[in-house]
Amino acid sequence: MSWRTTGIALRLRLPATLFACVGLIAVMIAVGALFPAVGHSIGKLHVSASVANLLGGADYGTITGWFRSEIGIFYGPLVIGALAITGAAATTAGEEEDRILGLVLAHPIRRSRLVAAKATAIAAIVVSITFAIWIGLIVGVAVGGGGITIAHITALAVQLAFFGFATGAVALALGAGTGNKSLALGVAATVGILGWLINSLAPLVSAISWLKYLAPYYYYAGRDPLTHGADILGLIVLSALTLLLTAAAMIGIARRDLRA
Amino acid sequence: MPAVSTPAIAASGLSKDYGSGRGLFELDLEIERGEVFGFLGPNGAGKSTTMRLLLDLIRPTSGSAQVLGLDTGRNTLEIRRRVGFLPGDLAMYGKLTGRVVLDYLAGLRGGVDRRVRDSLVERFDADLDRPIRELSTGNRQKLGLVQAFMHEPELLILDEPIAGLDPLVQQSFHALLGEVSAQGHTVFLSSHTLSEVERVTHRLAILREGRLVIVDSLENLRKVAVQRLEIEFAAPVDAGEFRSLTGVTEAHADGATVIVGFEGAADAVIKTAARHDVRAIRPREDDLEEIFLRYYRAEPGK
Repeated sequence: MSWRTTGIALRLRLPATLFACVGLIAVMIAVGALFPAVGHSIGKLHVSASVANLLGGADYGTITGWFRSEIGIFYGPLVIGALAITGAAATTAGEEEDRILGLVLAHPIRRSRLVAAKATAIAAIVVSITFAIWIGLIVGVAVGGGGITIAHITALAVQLAFFGFATGAVALALGAGTGNKSLALGVAATVGILGWLINSLAPLVSAISWLKYLAPYYYYAGRDPLTHGADILGLIVLSALTLLLTAAAMIGIARRDLRA
Repeated sequence: MPAVSTPAIAASGLSKDYGSGRGLFELDLEIERGEVFGFLGPNGAGKSTTMRLLLDLIRPTSGSAQVLGLDTGRNTLEIRRRVGFLPGDLAMYGKLTGRVVLDYLAGLRGGVDRRVRDSLVERFDADLDRPIRELSTGNRQKLGLVQAFMHEPELLILDEPIAGLDPLVQQSFHALLGEVSAQGHTVFLSSHTLSEVERVTHRLAILREGRLVIVDSLENLRKVAVQRLEIEFAAPVDAGEFRSLTGVTEAHADGATVIVGFEGAADAVIKTAARHDVRAIRPREDDLEEIFLRYYRAEPGK
């Protein structure tokens, strides 16, 4: 590990991370504040099962359903995934394409250590964002009149953090393994979005139901943490995926030529 | 630690094939310790590829290289510890200041004497307090030079080091090269023009389309340089008389003066001139640049 490299990677992303944290807390509070007026008036939507699945149950009549639909099912993982993916791709392939990595790796540091340091920085950013979401959810739920336990809010935040680690690790492995930022961003984003789509549609289309097990998203949201608490098996799978992909990133970058 | 008698750089059949004739092919090269060695060639000749191979940033297709007696594939960390590198087309973290970036790189490297770093910053008048993206190309290059020299490396690998530097800073840089060479350190620097390295190098190599064309000292290269004589006659003389002579590369008249460029002995030129009433003969400076351009364009003799 190179803590200096972790420090530089964090420093480069500090302003964006701080703005994201403040923004997310504000969004969570706003969502909570809207629940008494909007949520109660909408109630439970009577839509087709497929649409209800895409909307996280479409139950706007309860505060749990409201936060699941507004934050848990799409917005939360979207924000966490986007920040993790862009950070991981930028700090590996992005720096390589910008010709910065060629200078840094002319110094006595192993490529694998460099990637480990950058992975640590991305993990720290994911934890910071998740912490902001956790704070925002606690305040937002209180503003919305309460009704979700802190344990369940914590479960959602923890699942979100591990989902962020895994999606970031997809981009890290591709960025470090290929040096191609566009590829890393594109494939990692596709994995995230497809995972959401497949997880939502799988209960309705038996032919693709098995596909959900291949997507990190399933291990984040499959057990609905706001209702049922943390999914330990899901966390184990996401952790294993993160570790495997990070190891692949470390091996991948060590075995190839730097592109620039 | 390997014996100091080993060359600073030794490449044997070193190749990197990018396909379509691009890359570096069968490079055999030895650079002695304490040398300031110039590596010349047009853009895309393979200079940067060679330097990146030496630092294990890219891996050879075939062949091998040793730096400071260490194999570039097996001992890359130790090599990078003892080498200072300035990449061509230098890029650094644009959002950060020069001070933060230099602190980071010094930390990665270890063993950087703060006083040495500060003296380099002062010498090059480097701006450490503004974000790097706000600096001009020349000011960024100064930071690149500071980071390459700040740990007093045994070997400096510098890719186009004076790109963007103003003449005053170039002078400081050349003086610094003289100092590190006097201390026994080796410098391997690339350029695409002779004038950039002529004043500082002991030996130089010319690379063209990935292949080494020639390695020699400047003195030896001067010996085969095109010589020019300016011959002033009492009355105008037909320059065509000189063009047909063996070894003459050019001849043209300017009034009663004929300028003759030739390779090898001057005998035939002098004897032809002596058939006329000669007022004066003035030698012109050997044109080294012409040699380099010929090597760049095609293999000499072809």
